[in-house]
Formats: sequence, C-alpha cells, structure tokens
Amino acid sequence: MSGYYLGFDIGSVGSKAVIINDSGMVASSVIPSGTNYATTSAAVKAAALQSAGLQESDITATAATGIGGRNAGADSYHGVIICDARGVNLTFPTARSIIDIGGQGSQLITMDEAGQIINFNISEICATGSARLLQVVARILQTGMDEIGPLSLKATKPSNFSTSCTVFLETEVITRISQGDKPEDILAGIHRSIADKISGMARGVTLQEDIVVIGGGALDSGLVQSIEEKLGMKMLVPDNPRLMAALGAAVIARETKT
Amino acid sequence: MNDLASELFFAGIDIGSTMSKAVITDANNVMRSYVVGPTGAEHRRRANRVMEEALGKAGITLDKIAYIISTGYGRVNVPFADKQVTELTCHARGVASLFPDVRTAIDIGGQDAKVLRIKNGRLVDFLTNDKCAAGTGRFLEVAAETLGLELNEMGRISLQTDTPVKINSLCTIFAQQEIISRLSEGQPLPDILAGVYIAIATRVVKLARQLRVETPVVFTGGVAKNPGMVKAMESVLGVPVLIPQEPLITGALGAAILAREQAFQLIQRGEYDTHREKMLSEAYIEYGEGSG
Repeated sequence: MSGYYLGFDIGSVGSKAVIINDSGMVASSVIPSGTNYATTSAAVKAAALQSAGLQESDITATAATGIGGRNAGADSYHGVIICDARGVNLTFPTARSIIDIGGQGSQLITMDEAGQIINFNISEICATGSARLLQVVARILQTGMDEIGPLSLKATKPSNFSTSCTVFLETEVITRISQGDKPEDILAGIHRSIADKISGMARGVTLQEDIVVIGGGALDSGLVQSIEEKLGMKMLVPDNPRLMAALGAAVIARETKT
Repeated sequence: MNDLASELFFAGIDIGSTMSKAVITDANNVMRSYVVGPTGAEHRRRANRVMEEALGKAGITLDKIAYIISTGYGRVNVPFADKQVTELTCHARGVASLFPDVRTAIDIGGQDAKVLRIKNGRLVDFLTNDKCAAGTGRFLEVAAETLGLELNEMGRISLQTDTPVKINSLCTIFAQQEIISRLSEGQPLPDILAGVYIAIATRVVKLARQLRVETPVVFTGGVAKNPGMVKAMESVLGVPVLIPQEPLITGALGAAILAREQAFQLIQRGEYDTHREKMLSEAYIEYGEGSG
C-alpha cells in the first residue's frame, strides 16, 4: 500500500493542507488563517484528513511552508519559493516561471525542467504588489473576491490612478466613485496598478513560458489578463492556484521518504 | 519704506492635503494672525474660510492685503491669490525666518514628507515622498484607527516607555496587521505606539540621509506636534530637533514673506495698483458627471 503525505501552507490570509499519495493529489482543504497558526494548522489538517477519509496515522510524513508554517507541527519546514516550484512542476511539467500573488506579497520564480529554481524575486514590502490591494478595493466596492475578475473584464475605460500606494489608492477609489467611475473600470484600473508592480519585479528575473500564475491573486481572471497584457505573455492558471505551495510541501514530504 | 508700504499687509495661504493654513503679516514681517483648519473636499471654500478667519483675527479687511500667495498641494484652488508658489520654496523661507541658521528642515504632513537642505535661508536641495503612506502622517492615522485612539493621546501614551516594539513592515497596510499581532501577543500599548513612531522616523530619516543631515535640524508639519514623534525623530536622527511654536504654518508664513517681497517690488517699480478690487469668491470645484 502506498503512503500518504501531507503538506501545509499556513499563509497570512488562508491556510491550506494537501494530501497526496504516489500518484497525485488525494484531498485538500482551505480555511482562513486567523491569529493562532497552531490551532489553524490542526483544523486544516483535520479537514483534509476527513475529506480524504483518512486517519492521522495514515500519513507517512508532513512538511509545511508559509508565514505560519513553523507552527504547523510538521516534520519539516521549507521556504515558500521551493514549495511553489515543486507544486507547479508537478501540475505543469512544462512550466518555467511562476508568478505567485499572495495576501502578504508576491514571488516571481524561474526554474528548469526538473523544477529546480534558477532565480526568484520576492516582494513583501508593499501591499500594492499583493492580493491585499484586491481585498481592500473589494471591501470598498462591496464586491465578493470571486466577483472581481468577471466584473473587471466588463470594463470599457479603466480608471487612472495617480498613486501606487494601497493606502492612498483607498482614498482615490472613493474619489473615483464620487466622480461616477463604474466599479468595473475602477477594478480594471486597480488591476493595472498591480500588474505594473509585478512587471517592475520582473525586471530582476527573466520570465520564460510557460508562465503559471498561482496564489489567491490567480483566482482573479481580470488581474491575470492585466498581467498578460502588461508583460505581453500568456499565463496558465491551475484549477486550484491557492494550493500550489501546500502541494509542493506534500511533494517534498514524499521525497524525504522515498 | 514709504507710507503706502508701511500700512499694507500680506497673506500666505497653504492648502495642504489634510490641513489648510492662512498667515497674515505686516510690513515688518511680523505675523498678525494665523488660522489652521481641516482641508476637506472643497478646497476653494476652505481657502475662503481660513482667509476670512485670519482677517477677522487680525482685525483688518481684505482691501488692506497688498499681495496674497497660495502654496501647498491645493494652491491652484485659491481664486483670490495673486500668485502660486511651490510649498518647498515657501516652506524654506518660513522655516528660515524662524530659525535663521537652519540647515535641514524635515516636514511630515498628512500625506507626504519632505526634507529640505537650506543654506543662508535659501533652499539648496530637497527630497520628497508622496508615493507611499509609510513615513507620512497617514501612517499615524491608520495606527490610531487600528488602536481606537486619538492622535494626541497616542503621543502621550508612547512617552511612558523606553522599549519600543520593532515594527518590521515597511508598508502601512502590513504594519496595521503587525500592530494587531503585537497586541494579541500581549505587548504593552506604549511599547507598540513608540514602535510606530520609530517606524515613521526611520522612513523619513532614511530619506533625509540621502541628502546628508546637517544641524540645526528643524522639524515641522502636523506630525511635529506629537511629542511621541519628536522623541522618535531625535532618537533615530541622533541629534535634537528644533520645533516652531506652531509647526503647521511654516509654509503659509513663508508664502506671506514672499508676498511682502513681491508687493514691495511692485511698489518700487510703481506698478502697484492701490485701487484693485478684491473679493473672496465661494467657487466650488466642479467634478465630472455623476458628482451629484
């Protein structure tokens, strides 16, 4: 009987757990991270086990990543870059670059055909380069996170913003609303702001196709399109872009035991 | 100075992102009155109001004001101004009029920060930040909101400690989250607040060091009114800072000083019009469609 391996990704916004066996993903779960990473880790693990119909004793090895990953009680902890690369390599063997847009920052990663990292660039100093800006704007527009993408694709004249700071953008979005800008145009303008930041980061690394967009930001089809336009390159998005780092952690757990 | 000039007054209006200020000076550059009020959404009305209030406090009428200079980010929205001058020039003049030896002026406003190098009372170099809320008064507002505190009580509470918590986030949004985490870890409030001030000071001093900081250093802007911020600034800079009695009005004061110079030049050239009509017009800013 083949073993089961569990990967955690305890992020700033969401916590994810993925269970794999020798042939691939068996089950997964995603819950909000909250403030106690240890409790959250236990809960997200329990949810994944339940979904797989497994007991804790069925798990051969565990590995964790993410800002709260050290509190997950896993057998090992790994950086998010390496986990992203492993998860994406398993999902898209042709992938050579990754754009990970998370709640606390973004990562650009380039890798070879074996999923070995060539170069990377991390931005976690500015909310505008992260999915956090989307949350802030969604709250002002009273739009669900899952509605942002489809809505923004209806934009006819994207709003222009004079600032790239999330705090100042918050004010500017309200000004634009008062001037009659449509929500879809505001969102499209915000997507451009994020795409600009990402393309600035891309100066440090040479992105090569296939490029895979992952993280919470990848769920926003409007943002992905905006990045495609800005970089002039086609992007791939996995079915479950938020799970890639947890999947990668599970792959690493499996590697350590085989 | 002839009789005409000695009876005249001059005004500087500084419409900042958060606060609007008006200063009236006389022929000897003595300040006769000043007013500070929130800017709000309607700059033009605000410009009229601070001007009216400043005239009232000085006990003079608008026709006695020989020349008016507007400055600040909303300077184009002062319809009764004779001239617009950038805030950097006005600020340097205002600070130098109060502290003639000043070499470095650091101003932290509601949404920006500026560092000025001044020599012999004149601006020689400057750097500004209006791109990122960290290192501006906005960071403090966000922190105050997060903690449910008033800005002035924040300053007082922060003075209770000498062991500030380190705030690692360079971004206001992420720092907000970090403040909440520190609170939930049980860190004392004064330590967190002191850490917030150190974080802003570190950002601004980093900007200042790109220009080289020479003493004396004058610290102005609304944020300079906060004792917690002043303490953090001195600790990060490593030198004491000088603060004007009213740190918000240096830009408006500089504008008034420049207004006097302009008026005297016109008088000297015989170009000053003693009968010109002046009024405060209550114009509104017209937004595009849908402004309601």
